[in-house]
Amino acid sequence: MPVSQPLQPRLSLRGLLQLQLHTLPAANATGKLTIRPFSIVQEVIYGDQQGKAKGLRIIAAETNEVIDYKARVIFLNASTLSTTQIMLNSKSKRFENGFGNDSGELGHNLMDHTYRVGATGTVDGFEDRYYKGRRPNGIYIPRYWNIDEASKSDKFVRGFGYQGGAGRTGSREAANLPEYGAEFKEKLVQPGRWEFFITGFSESLPQHRNHVSLNPDVTDKWGQPTLSIDAEWGPNELALNKQAKEDAVEMLERAGLQNVMEFDNKHEMGYGIHEMGTVRMGRDPKTSVLNGFNQVHAAKNVFVTDGACMASSSCVNPSLTYMALTARAVDHAVSELNKQTI
Amino acid sequence: MLDRREVLRRTSWLAGGVVVAPYVLGLMQSCSPDQQLDWTPNYFSDEEARFVTAYIDTLLPKTDTPGGLDVGVDRFIDKVMAATTPAGDKPSPMQTGILEFDDRARNRFGSVFHELEQDQRGQLFSDAENSPLYMPAIWGTAVGEQPPIDFYRSLKSMVLWGYLSSEEIGTNVLEYDPVPGEYNGDMPLSETGGEGLEFVGDF
Repeated sequence: MPVSQPLQPRLSLRGLLQLQLHTLPAANATGKLTIRPFSIVQEVIYGDQQGKAKGLRIIAAETNEVIDYKARVIFLNASTLSTTQIMLNSKSKRFENGFGNDSGELGHNLMDHTYRVGATGTVDGFEDRYYKGRRPNGIYIPRYWNIDEASKSDKFVRGFGYQGGAGRTGSREAANLPEYGAEFKEKLVQPGRWEFFITGFSESLPQHRNHVSLNPDVTDKWGQPTLSIDAEWGPNELALNKQAKEDAVEMLERAGLQNVMEFDNKHEMGYGIHEMGTVRMGRDPKTSVLNGFNQVHAAKNVFVTDGACMASSSCVNPSLTYMALTARAVDHAVSELNKQTI
Repeated sequence: MLDRREVLRRTSWLAGGVVVAPYVLGLMQSCSPDQQLDWTPNYFSDEEARFVTAYIDTLLPKTDTPGGLDVGVDRFIDKVMAATTPAGDKPSPMQTGILEFDDRARNRFGSVFHELEQDQRGQLFSDAENSPLYMPAIWGTAVGEQPPIDFYRSLKSMVLWGYLSSEEIGTNVLEYDPVPGEYNGDMPLSETGGEGLEFVGDF
């Protein structure tokens, strides 16, 4: 997975709900919050007698000390692949192939969104209009394929949405101007022409073959196995991308843009940084790891509510869904704790 | 605002992203005394620094607003090159590019670039403009198939980067908005004072 996040500059703005601005202060206000940084969760400890998790084993990153923590309830939200890595690493007599992995689906059905496929064009006029500040979002075109009978495609299932935006070109285009000298220098500090683009985000399907696994041959600094990723786009994602590109060109041309250019910067899975799945939710414990309240089927006091829980990927940015699922799971956990059923 | 990716894009050619033909090491001509550098480069040789100086001065000369040299673009590029070129990576694409451009200058006008008259330099610039252009960028990444950008345009892009991100240009030539928190997506250009805003570059 790439470390750098192309969207990060936008997401770092003070928008929506933020950990540092909202949730952590609220948790701190309860007087019961303890944050333990520099801690690497090695595994979830399973209690045979209790039939549920007893706690967590961590490695203190700076001292290598191994410490066990007891817990009545555990929310395992280390981010999609790290959550899965911890669960795969949590082996016991009860769970020989990873925590809660009775179904064999732990680590499987990895998903992401395809993007960077669409069209860009220029818009004449509006030379006297401009913008200022930092916009934390852009425009959005919701999915319109396979919504009903009339929008059914014979080329693919599911669909894609578009994200995009407009702006005036800057120094990048200035480097393309076949000019130099005094006049060029004056032009350089004027805003360039307006550009507008849309890029499709296509849903990817859960495929058992797209999976992650522990690699005991390559360990990290703390002796823990690293994670290997084996995943690729399938024919449906490629068909969605083809349609997203064609539709984008058609929309921009019909909207009257000039210099419309299609693009499809092909990329591997993971580049969309919307990684989802690998601890999927489902009704049937034989084919899924979590139940409908994000509880591990076989250890109901362990909840997974990050991207790992996703059973399908939709085509929208997933964080808000994680937050909604988390709120719902927490509510359920409190209710179960009060009833003393977990 | 430049993100990390954009910075990498702008400097990536230094690590071999530019395609250059094998060069023949030309004989360096000695420089005339009036072209002594008034600073000491870390990365460039004196001869290379004179090329860069002449290049910047041709591209962005001093007028009623500062030129590239006035805001230290020459030192800026030297600094970036010194900081981003792996040790032992010599000659770098930058150095190869300078030698080749000087070869062109010598073949056509009999002298290296920094010794030419302004209109001769301009003719070499105009010729060099027949090279591939940057593709449009979305979220800091070029779209479509980006043909290799040659030395001339890579350096041009780098000079513009240094010029537009200098304090002098950012605060006194462009409209300076130090805390661009408020967002206004549609405003009269005249409200900025008529120039582009300092922080609005590629979007």
